[in-house]
Amino acid sequence: MKKREDNRLRRWAAALLAGTMLLAPAGCGGNREDKNLLPDEKEAGRVVNMFSPMEKTDPNAENVARTASDLTIAMAEERLGVTVAYQTYTAEGYQDKTYDDVALDRARNDMDDLYLLNPDTILTLGAEGRLMDLSGLDSVKNLREIIRVANTVDGKLVAIPQEVVAYGMFVNVDIFKQYGLELPDTPEEFLECCRVFQENGIDTPVGANRWWLETFVFAQAYADLYNGGNTEAEIAALNSGEARYSDYMRPGFEFLQEMIDCGYIDAEKALVSEAIEAEGPDFLAGKTPIVMAYWGAANTETAYGRTDFEMQVIGFPSSRGQMPVMPMTGFAVGANAEHAEDAMRVMDVITSDEALQLYAETNRVISPSKNVSVDCVPALRPLNDRIQEGVYVLGSNAGMNVEQWGNTCLIVRQLLGGATVDECMAAFDRLQDEAMNRQ
Amino acid sequence: MKEEPKKREQRRKLFLPLSFLLVFFVFGAIVYTVAQRTSREMSSAAIQNLSESLDLIQCTIEAILNNEAEFQTLVARELAQAEDPEAFIRSYEKNRTMAKVSMIPAGAEQGFSNTGETFTEEGLDYSAGRTVGGMPVSQSYVNYMGTWAYTMKCPVERDGKELGTLYVEYVYDAIDRSLPSDGFYNKQASLYIMDAQSQRFVLKPKGMGQRSAGHLNLDDFYRANNVQDPGIRSEVAQCLDEGRNILFYHDIRGKNALNYMWSVNDGSVFLVGYVPVEAIQQEGRTVNQNIAMVVAAMLGAFFLCALLYYLNWRQQERVRVEREEERQIHSQQLAQALQAAQIASESKTTFLSNMSHDIRTPMNAVLGFTTLLSRDADNPAKVREYTKKITASGQHLLSLINDILDVSKIESGKVVLTFDQFALSDVISSVDAIIQPMARAKRQEFHVEVSGIRHEYLVGDETRINQILINLLSNAVKYTQEGGHIWLRIIGLKQRSGQYEHIRIEVEDDGYGMTPEYLRTIFDAFTRAENSTTNKVQGTGLGMAITKSIVELMGGTIDVTSQVDKGSIFRVELELRIQENHADRQFWKDRGISHILAVEADPGGRESIQTLMADTGVQVDAVAELEEALNQAREAGPYQLVLLDWDGPGLNGPRAAQALREALPVDVPLVLMAEYDAQGIEPALKMERSGVLAKPFFVAALREKVEELLRDESAAASAEPEQADSLEGLRFLAAEDNEINAEILMELLELEGASCEIVENGRLAVERFQSAQPGEFDAILMDVQMPVMNGHEATRAIRALEREDAKRIPIIAMTANAFAEDEKAALNAGMTAHVAKPLDVGVLKRTIRQFAKGKDGTGDEKA
Repeated sequence: MKKREDNRLRRWAAALLAGTMLLAPAGCGGNREDKNLLPDEKEAGRVVNMFSPMEKTDPNAENVARTASDLTIAMAEERLGVTVAYQTYTAEGYQDKTYDDVALDRARNDMDDLYLLNPDTILTLGAEGRLMDLSGLDSVKNLREIIRVANTVDGKLVAIPQEVVAYGMFVNVDIFKQYGLELPDTPEEFLECCRVFQENGIDTPVGANRWWLETFVFAQAYADLYNGGNTEAEIAALNSGEARYSDYMRPGFEFLQEMIDCGYIDAEKALVSEAIEAEGPDFLAGKTPIVMAYWGAANTETAYGRTDFEMQVIGFPSSRGQMPVMPMTGFAVGANAEHAEDAMRVMDVITSDEALQLYAETNRVISPSKNVSVDCVPALRPLNDRIQEGVYVLGSNAGMNVEQWGNTCLIVRQLLGGATVDECMAAFDRLQDEAMNRQ
Repeated sequence: MKEEPKKREQRRKLFLPLSFLLVFFVFGAIVYTVAQRTSREMSSAAIQNLSESLDLIQCTIEAILNNEAEFQTLVARELAQAEDPEAFIRSYEKNRTMAKVSMIPAGAEQGFSNTGETFTEEGLDYSAGRTVGGMPVSQSYVNYMGTWAYTMKCPVERDGKELGTLYVEYVYDAIDRSLPSDGFYNKQASLYIMDAQSQRFVLKPKGMGQRSAGHLNLDDFYRANNVQDPGIRSEVAQCLDEGRNILFYHDIRGKNALNYMWSVNDGSVFLVGYVPVEAIQQEGRTVNQNIAMVVAAMLGAFFLCALLYYLNWRQQERVRVEREEERQIHSQQLAQALQAAQIASESKTTFLSNMSHDIRTPMNAVLGFTTLLSRDADNPAKVREYTKKITASGQHLLSLINDILDVSKIESGKVVLTFDQFALSDVISSVDAIIQPMARAKRQEFHVEVSGIRHEYLVGDETRINQILINLLSNAVKYTQEGGHIWLRIIGLKQRSGQYEHIRIEVEDDGYGMTPEYLRTIFDAFTRAENSTTNKVQGTGLGMAITKSIVELMGGTIDVTSQVDKGSIFRVELELRIQENHADRQFWKDRGISHILAVEADPGGRESIQTLMADTGVQVDAVAELEEALNQAREAGPYQLVLLDWDGPGLNGPRAAQALREALPVDVPLVLMAEYDAQGIEPALKMERSGVLAKPFFVAALREKVEELLRDESAAASAEPEQADSLEGLRFLAAEDNEINAEILMELLELEGASCEIVENGRLAVERFQSAQPGEFDAILMDVQMPVMNGHEATRAIRALEREDAKRIPIIAMTANAFAEDEKAALNAGMTAHVAKPLDVGVLKRTIRQFAKGKDGTGDEKA
């Protein structure tokens, strides 16, 4: 039996060798074709220019957030046969133009077709009529109502996000446990925690940058407005001037002032610090127990996606407990975009349920589509639970006549720069008066 | 000398793999050298290739910058000629190259722009002193459109008089449009344009390529691509300062890449980026891959050949090993055969030595006594004594020879059992008759016990069963000291089938016993217990082997337990077919016996009698005591027969016999059941119609005894058996080729008063019978092995003769061929009976009487 197998193997091998020898010379011949050697003229590529920020990269880490967005863009490129050309800008430092500044300049000069915009920029450009109305897109019907409302300016849906950006406090639970502290619900509890930390040698318990301190203010200012059941009436009162934004904002600013006064925040450093760059390393090293960041930072290794300690993301302290703050970033199409038609198509694809599902699964975020939901990472559960309960405040609202996200950020910087709370409140009053005058 | 082929074999085995390895290494070295050279050449070609590409891009950008400078000079000239320079500037519309046109009049701090606002030089940094075509170029910045831009300035002069300075802002997007739209090296190369002064990247790749590694500036580039080598970084810094180009190898994301900083416009901007080496060496790589494929194919072919060679070698090796194994098996078999032959030879020697001793001993006696006989021939007393001893020695020799023949037959599988009907009582009585005298001679007590037997008429080879019992019992007698005890027990076991009686035969003694070592070989041929006590015992050492073989031939089992000086027990179990339709009932009916009284003290004995008599149709009343028996005889009678246990405890034999005889009618036989050596029985036997029946009880024995007692004549007849066996007056024709045997036969017959005529072979016997008168011979005694015509042929010839007495005349075979099948062959040939040699006069007489004496009308025994 064995012998027969051996013989068969040998016969096969001999046949194989013979075949190889016959084929080898045949392969050496070549044929030259006497015609134009260039391949057919390629069809001129359709390009959609997209302006988006660029994070500084770490060579050893995958940028999950970018990857998620890239996947949806690749989906659009494949579906539509277009090339999406990335135009990027990131400020090197505080003295540089901000991304928002550059975004405004580029949109006003029709430099690009698609823009990824922060909430204040969306409102500004929307109000200037520089953004296309997206309400005709197929994907719009899947959007959650809150998304539609928050991005509608002058009756036009001017931007659609790929994720609902929620801001929260990132806390090092190990340090809280070390000092026997509960995670804080109210501003008073928060200040008490900071006091204990400071007494125990943590001089600056809160890591801050020049962008995101406003989230503390929003949580305290609008906890009742968005969760008291009388939202529309209160906003109407603000828009009509019956109520003053400064009255809402004051407690938050006084809170920040106390933090600055007590040294819980290093105001000087925060004023010149970019997001995550400045406070991130100390937080990851376990030196700072509290920082603030957006949802996606808990998923990506370029931010806080991998920590050596137990991290939890909770809402900001407010009279109604831990409060997530949700501004609305989003993709918008320039009103005079050179490739408007393709840009709209790309928008339709990257905000479709399929793309948003892919994005949400990759990035583990809350999707703007009511049809898409995914599990979040364990660290985000406290924040997610609050959002699922419907407890949160908006960091931007197109329904308010004073733009919130950008203006508050700038006024918080004034506070950091040494202005008094009263001066800051006066700034809000000025903005409200200007808005009233515009009306 | 023996080492040489072994070493050669080892060298041969090593040579093949070593030569394979050598070829492999030489081949590998060549491939490695070629690959190295190709790699070096490809590397230098890659550098050359990339340099050319970068030079091209550099020239393109420089051409754009120069064009912009020349165009700006033209604009300045026209502006110098303009009536209203501000109106001229404001009339200018921004285009895709020039984003902003401004002028600051000579001597003024601020001027105007085409975009409408006031223009100052604030924010424009010319400190690096870079120029294009002699025109100063500012450091790059993000302009009002949110894109990277630079501004060149030139004087506005009319007639040698400076009117002001013209500033034109150019956007890098214009340069971007002139660069290869798909990047270069098939989109695998990354290309940044870096402002040399700020080291910031003002143009970045836009494709999807490695977009997650986008960079802000040189530091970011270093960090993102892990360019940490201080040597490289300082050299790069130096090149940037001096506006020189630099190319260096550095791995980007695990891929070997050529990194470049390429100076444009004397180092005002740099092309920065990297190209994976494999992208530049695409073609070379393809060639290398093809070479690798060819090498792999050749290696494959090489290994295939090696494999084929190996398979072939392995097969040959296997065949060689198989042959070697066969040879070894063969040698082993030969060695075993040799050993077996040696053992056989040794056995034979031992056997012959034993036999020699065993045969010589009685032979010595025979010869010794014949010598004494011739000396003392005149002394009749001594003659009788000597002849008696010669006879004994002869008998021993005969048994020895019989045993040897038996063993050889059994071993060669020639033994055939002869099944016939027999009565267990006959077996026991014949064995008892043989063993009892032997035991008594040694003053031993021999007891026979029977229990649980349901059927005594069985089918089997009675002779062989006798042989088994006699072998076991004679051994027991031999190996038990004087005054010892021997028991024979026949036990009926539970029947496995209704057609078979399952019996166990136990032979127990309290003799010398056997050692455990001997027990292991007891059933092997030619073994004998040897010790100082038993050396006196004569034997062939074949008895047990024969016994075991016969038992197994009958489908039975035999085992033995023994202890030295305590005794032994042999147990044989056999299953024997029960005789059916035995005409027993008729016997009892014919003799009018329907009711028997049995007086038996032993309950087992009573049960045994009742069981055995169950099939006879006779009612048996069994009682234990005399009084009960007497009452029974009076009340329950009439009995046609009474059995009395002579030795029963509590039964006084003589008194009980007397009492019963008196109580019974005189014609009712009284049978006394007694042991072989029962004491004081003779007076009882003198009573009317009384007889003795040897224990144990058997129906067949009882039948004989009853018949004896009921027949009046029988007593008289039994008084003269000698006379009945006499051969007086008979005439025989004997065919015998051996003269001595013929003479002995003649002498023996003459002693008996008969006459005999001897012929030398079968043919002569046939002829003599043919010529004889009818009735001339009473019988023919026929040897079997004879020259000319043997006994069987002669018998057939005689029976075939056309004579009236040819079919009738008794032909008795006399032959040394003494086995059952010999007897059968003789009978088949037409002979009447068979008598084994050496001749036993008694047997011969009985046989002749039985068959030849019919002519005088006294052939009762045939009945």
